Amino acid sequence: MKINAKYVNPFIEAGMNVIKQIAGIEVRRGHLSYKQQPEPSYGVSIIIGVYGFLTGQVVYSMQTEVAERLVERMLGGKSPQERKIMFVDTLGELANMITGNATAILNSNKDLSLKITTPAIATGSNLSINLIPKPTLVLGLYTQYGPVEISVALEEQETLHELDEMSSVLREV
Amino acid sequence: MGKRILIVDDATFIRTMVKDILEPKGFEIAGEATNGLEAVTKFEELKPDLVTMDITMKEKDGLEAARDILMRHPDARIIMVTALGQEKMLLDSIKLGVRDFVVKPFQPERIISAVEKALA
Repeated sequence: MKINAKYVNPFIEAGMNVIKQIAGIEVRRGHLSYKQQPEPSYGVSIIIGVYGFLTGQVVYSMQTEVAERLVERMLGGKSPQERKIMFVDTLGELANMITGNATAILNSNKDLSLKITTPAIATGSNLSINLIPKPTLVLGLYTQYGPVEISVALEEQETLHELDEMSSVLREV
Repeated sequence: MGKRILIVDDATFIRTMVKDILEPKGFEIAGEATNGLEAVTKFEELKPDLVTMDITMKEKDGLEAARDILMRHPDARIIMVTALGQEKMLLDSIKLGVRDFVVKPFQPERIISAVEKALA
C-alpha cells in the first residue's frame, strides 16, 4: 500500500492558514506519526471523505474544550445559546474549509478534480464504525487551547487499480 | 430597495456570516437554502437578483444546482462560495456561466466585491 508524505503537507499548510484566518489565533506545527488505521486521540472527531485521484478519509480530532474555544473564536459576537446551537455545524465547516483548501494545494492539475463529502461529526466510542481501515499519517497542530490532530488516510487511485488487478489475478489462480 | 440575495450553503455558520456581511451593505436576504435541490426550488420561487452557492452539499451539489438554474435562466447571477479552490472547479464554474468564484475562508471585502461586481 502506498502512502505518501507529500499528501500530508497540504493539510498542514491549509490547517495552519484556515485556523489562523477564521479563529484569529496562531498555530504551530507538531510531530508526524504513522498508524495502521485512523484512531482519533480525542473526544471530538470530524470525518470527511475524499474521492477522485486520491481516495480515503481525513479525520480531525480534538478535546471538547479545544472545540468549544475554536467555535467561540469563530462565532465572535454570538450568544452562548447561539454558539451551542451552531457548535456541530461550525466545527464541520472548519474541517470542510481545511480539507477543501488542502485539495486545492494537492491538485494543481487542470484536468483532475478531488471531491469531498460533507463532514460527519462523532464523539466518544461510536466513532470507530465510521472509519475505513487504511494506513494513516497523523499530524499535530498546536493552538493556544490545545492540539488539533489531523489523520490523513488517503491512497492513490492507481494503487486501488493495482489492488484490483492483484485481486483479479488471485481470483484467477 | 436593496438587491435580493439567495444564500445557498449547508453550513449555518457560512449562511450567517454571508448574511451578516451583506445586510449592513443594503442587500436584502431573500432566502436561504441548505442543498442544491432546495436552491433550485427557492430560485424559482423567489427569483433573487443573485445567488451565493456552495459546492459540497448533500442531495444535489452546487455545480449541478447552478447548471440547472442557468439552463432555465441564462441571465441568473450566481457566484460560487466554496472551500474547494481547485482550478478545474473554477474553470467548470466559469464555463457554466457562473460570475465569480470565492474561496472560503474569505474576508468580508472579497464577498462584497464579488456580489457588487456580479450585480453591476
